[in-house]
Amino acid sequence: MQKLWDCVGTCQPARTAGKVSLKVIVVLVFAAFLVWPHTTQADDSLERIQQRGTLIWGADQEGGGPFVYPDPNNPTQLIGFEVELANLIAEHLGVTARFAQGQWDKLPDLLDRGDIDIVLNGYEWSHDRANRYGTSIPYYIYELQLLGRKTDTSLQSWDDLLKPKEGRNRRVSVLGGAAAQDYIERFSSDKIDIALFEGVTDAMEAVELGLSGIDANLQDLPIWMFYADGFPQLHPIGPPVGRGYYVALTRKSDTDLLKAANHVILQTLQDGRLRRIFQKYRIWNETQAMRGLETNSSGAFTGGISIPVSDNQKGTPEGTEDYQKSGGWQVIRQRGGLLVKSAGMTVLLSVTAMPLAVLIGLLIALTRLYGASYFRIMATIYIELVRGTPLVLQLYLIYFLLPKLLNSIIPGLGSGIDAFSAAVAGLAINYSAYEAEIYRGGIQAIPKGQMEAALSLGMSRGLALRRVIIPQATRLVLPPMTNDFIALFKDTAVCSVITVVELSKQYYIQARSADAIVELGLLTALLYLAMSYPLSMLTYQMEKRLNNERPA
Amino acid sequence: MIELRNIVKRFQQNEVLQGVNLTVGDGEVCVLLGPSGGGKSTLLRTINGLESFDSGTIRIDDVTLGAESGAARDCALLRIRQVVGMVFQQFHLFPHKTVLENVIEAPIHVLRQPREAAIQQAEELLRRVGMLEKAAFRPGALSGGQQQRVAIARTLAMKPKAILFDEPTSALDPRSTAEVISIMTDLASSGQQMIVVTHAMAFARTVADRVHILHAGKIAESGSPEQVFENPQEAITREFLSEFRHGN
Repeated sequence: MQKLWDCVGTCQPARTAGKVSLKVIVVLVFAAFLVWPHTTQADDSLERIQQRGTLIWGADQEGGGPFVYPDPNNPTQLIGFEVELANLIAEHLGVTARFAQGQWDKLPDLLDRGDIDIVLNGYEWSHDRANRYGTSIPYYIYELQLLGRKTDTSLQSWDDLLKPKEGRNRRVSVLGGAAAQDYIERFSSDKIDIALFEGVTDAMEAVELGLSGIDANLQDLPIWMFYADGFPQLHPIGPPVGRGYYVALTRKSDTDLLKAANHVILQTLQDGRLRRIFQKYRIWNETQAMRGLETNSSGAFTGGISIPVSDNQKGTPEGTEDYQKSGGWQVIRQRGGLLVKSAGMTVLLSVTAMPLAVLIGLLIALTRLYGASYFRIMATIYIELVRGTPLVLQLYLIYFLLPKLLNSIIPGLGSGIDAFSAAVAGLAINYSAYEAEIYRGGIQAIPKGQMEAALSLGMSRGLALRRVIIPQATRLVLPPMTNDFIALFKDTAVCSVITVVELSKQYYIQARSADAIVELGLLTALLYLAMSYPLSMLTYQMEKRLNNERPA
Repeated sequence: MIELRNIVKRFQQNEVLQGVNLTVGDGEVCVLLGPSGGGKSTLLRTINGLESFDSGTIRIDDVTLGAESGAARDCALLRIRQVVGMVFQQFHLFPHKTVLENVIEAPIHVLRQPREAAIQQAEELLRRVGMLEKAAFRPGALSGGQQQRVAIARTLAMKPKAILFDEPTSALDPRSTAEVISIMTDLASSGQQMIVVTHAMAFARTVADRVHILHAGKIAESGSPEQVFENPQEAITREFLSEFRHGN
């Protein structure tokens, strides 16, 4: 869970080469903004929250248990120890807590945008983070645990990890970009191979199945404690290592909110409420007790270490949230509705973005074909720029950086850009470049005589385009454009980086928390197919109709 | 009155029109004849601006079209095109519209006629060219001759002062040619001003008021059909006419 996403400063090996360049571009654009004059406003964070009546806190449900995840008994409700912590802070402020979904590594950006007040999602403290954000006192002290297969007798200690097995290095799975990756790289960069995973349960599953020669997993201890029962073939190897702190993040200027969060964390540590929450999610251990903060009602220190909680790692006290591999087909009945609902978002995004893309594309194509040379060059640059950059970057720029730019021109101007509009704009702009080229081809395919006939009837060039050329070109481009519509429809999945929960994001959230990757995966695929197949049929229909209307 | 003065047009080094002068009076039928590559079609297309030219002027009543491109030329062109219609060798009907829609398109969107009036006029014109029963068809379903008749109706719907015919029967079989020629003859006898590029010698001989032989970008000979056909003065005219007789 402790991915290290630091825009500036850290030099970590990124997951893929593509992400390196993306990061570099983002950093460059970011750097441009740092030179922009920033206005520092007085801290009115608490007033704002209290006026609004809600504390908006950000996390990624996809991270799963025990942090924030859909309640197995009622998937529309969220549970997790951070959900309860958020409720405690909100209660202290006299407001209600409202959850805001965001992609894990983009949560700090949501703080910058002003969409959320606080991040509670296993973010570990680091110098870089403390420099950029308000970091609370730790609400949890995490450690890393090495996990291996019980049957693998050759791997019993950290030292064994350095011994080659069957002539090759040992392979260890870690969450990409997480503190575990950092730790294992510093432990040994040349004697251990690292396999990067996106989901914590996937990384454990890989060890259990021995996928691609993976022998071990370095996992956050609380995650292991929560999921241990679900992976009976795995066992911890050696003591926990690499201690660090989960902290809440706020905007740097929101010092009053940060202090309030600190107050709540201290108080709940002291009166044992936080311990009970941790016990409920089976992540309380002696490391937490080492802080020695708990007092009884008369204010006396109760000797934290001696509290009989060490057995809680395996015991299941009443009211404990337990990880169950629910799986099976009843999951579909339970969570299918959520997927169908998110499919609605996928449809809404596509049917809004595509007509805009076609319209912008047509204007760009006309500019490229008939515009003054200056505009023609602009249109060409637009097409190359949009086609040459990834959609995910465009969405990021529109959602996270454009508002900053707008606000620096006229304060408040950027706040109108919500996630849905940004997603629609990003998709529309991205696809407009392709539609422009398709339209250009379509217009050029209309015989020259058509324009001449229209002009000779006294039409202006614009009228001829509108009445004669474009309607014919549109018939020609409909089939390729329907193709693009299907592609756009699937590309909506990328919008999850800017907090839009559509079908595929909902699938990841539900599949990871319910361990029903196959069952829900099939349903998701079926939903996509059920939506795209009618579109394909429409293409065939149009092609057939088109053949009847071809120029003689 | 249509007046062309000293029209020069070059394609790179090649001077395809070398200072052509031409006058066509109101109600006159003018036929341009000559060997292929002589510049007939190019000359015709300069009149309504489908081809630009390098020097010279074209005057149609009070509108003057010069060689220099610009807003003034664009404006003159729009006015000329509203009073000068054109019929093409390849018809160029709008394939996405029905026959009737082809004919009412310009009156509604250029002349801003009310739709009902435009339809009524279109039906009359389609009856005149014998195409009324095909009003609901799309051009793709028609033969070449039928398409050309619709194209003539489409042009007439703009009530043009003059019509330019660019080899209107060259893509047609003999029977369709005869139908189109008969419509053109009717038009001529109703006093329609026409400039016709054609190889239909019979039409030139019987309908034209004046015939011009265009060769190598110049008018080699002009005159009434009797003069040009019966008593050609220039060697090039005789050569062209004899080739034509043998060829056909």
